[in-house]
Amino acid sequence: MKTIVDIKNITKQYKGKTILEDISFSLFAHQVVALVGKNGSGKSTLLKIIGGLVNPDSGTIYKHIHPFTIGYVPEVTPSTIMFTPEEYLFHMGCIRGMVKNQLQPRIDYLLDIFNLQGSRKTRISDFSKGMKQKVMIMQALLEETNLLILDEPLSGLDPKAQSNLEDTLLLLKDKGLSIILSCHETKLLENIADKIFFINNHQVNQNNLLLNTTQHRNRLTFEISIQESFEDLHPYFEIVQTSQLNQRVNVVKVIIKLEDTDKILLELLHKNASIKQLQPINHAKEDFYNQF
Amino acid sequence: MSGLLRYQFINYLRTYRYVPPFSIFIIFLVVNYTFTPNPILDSYSFSSIVLFFIMGWFTITIFHSEDEDQKIITLLHIKNRKEYNLVLFMFCVLTGLCLSCLSVTYPILIDAFGLKPKPLHIMMGFLSHFSLSFLAIALSAIFTRDIVKNKQNTWWGVLSTLIISLAITTLKSVILQIKGLIWLLPPVYLSLEMMDSGDENLSMPGLFYWQFTWIFMYSILVIGIFFLFTKRK
Repeated sequence: MKTIVDIKNITKQYKGKTILEDISFSLFAHQVVALVGKNGSGKSTLLKIIGGLVNPDSGTIYKHIHPFTIGYVPEVTPSTIMFTPEEYLFHMGCIRGMVKNQLQPRIDYLLDIFNLQGSRKTRISDFSKGMKQKVMIMQALLEETNLLILDEPLSGLDPKAQSNLEDTLLLLKDKGLSIILSCHETKLLENIADKIFFINNHQVNQNNLLLNTTQHRNRLTFEISIQESFEDLHPYFEIVQTSQLNQRVNVVKVIIKLEDTDKILLELLHKNASIKQLQPINHAKEDFYNQF
Repeated sequence: MSGLLRYQFINYLRTYRYVPPFSIFIIFLVVNYTFTPNPILDSYSFSSIVLFFIMGWFTITIFHSEDEDQKIITLLHIKNRKEYNLVLFMFCVLTGLCLSCLSVTYPILIDAFGLKPKPLHIMMGFLSHFSLSFLAIALSAIFTRDIVKNKQNTWWGVLSTLIISLAITTLKSVILQIKGLIWLLPPVYLSLEMMDSGDENLSMPGLFYWQFTWIFMYSILVIGIFFLFTKRK
């Protein structure tokens, strides 16, 4: 896999406080890398250093492609933009020094892939947060970029807008774009990220817990008549809790092996049990999210 | 650079932040020349002082017309903070130039003066307006968000600086007692002194050229300090 950026021994302090200390890792072509960590752990600072917006106190960023173009999407979306997306992208392109005959097809292409063709003549100030965020990503992609940097792309979006933007990011991933982003959202990390770096105590560590999605066990909750016996199933599960819902029905929570799940579900349905919840257990994932 | 200038111009027009200062200046011009006849240089001197304050207002609104978060994105595209600020200064200077031309031509067009203005009066009128506009832009830029983070300090800073610059005219005799101090203070008084020379003057003394040049030089030095500060930040 081709390395596009090497981050070597980056250290950054802010007002005498160490934010990042001796950080080194590499970014590869066509990969999506996610940076996770607690608030104030230095994710945004690291992204800004990679994007060339902030200088590190020490260390070097080696770019292996020349010229290396970076698209940057800041965490906060401007609240007032007095232009339509078409006008806005045109102005940003002109400011970049792009010529009109190169710019217009690119704007049309971006409006198309981001599904904003229908809103090309609407002022951005009238857009929803999700649509504004799309425009922000579009401005970062005006020129062919070697690396797209997204700082908390889903922050402040409602679940529908998040889902919509996740689809867009998946599309960009499928097109082979190299992306580095900071985020907290489970789905984004699980579905899009190829590699996850966790920032903790000013250091960056690669975290593979979340990417290993192999499930071994499931948590099952069901309701069953008090008269009904399911002792024959006991060897196949571990009872976590049994409680009485009313005088006729018990609620039972059990843990079952992945390979036994279908068989047990079938047996329980034959015994007129009502399945209330079936949930995969991933202790690694739970441990991961408990970190921040 | 032209792309950024066009973008800033359209963005500023769409924010409508120019409406209050522009309206007030137009109302002032109309009211000031309602009663005729008027002295030429005295009237020009008065309107140039008003323009001096109005340009402070224009400068702050032009520098702050872009959303703060959008400014970061625009800077990423232009890739040069110096060029970005230079465009904003160009925009302010063009505004000052247009308003200076308007201030000089309006009273002539409505025949508001007692005497027929000679080219010398027009030139002095224009230089007085434009030099004070330029000075106001330079002084006000020091209080924009790149240097002063608190918005309240921006308005107080600009207003007090412009008022002090004007007050120096009346305190000149006191200031002159401290050697060299007068050179450090904004030279608004020079324009007012020159414009006080009377409409009957048929030629412009050589000293006047130097005095107008000093106002422009002083403004350029202040703009230089602005760039120095922004580079440090």
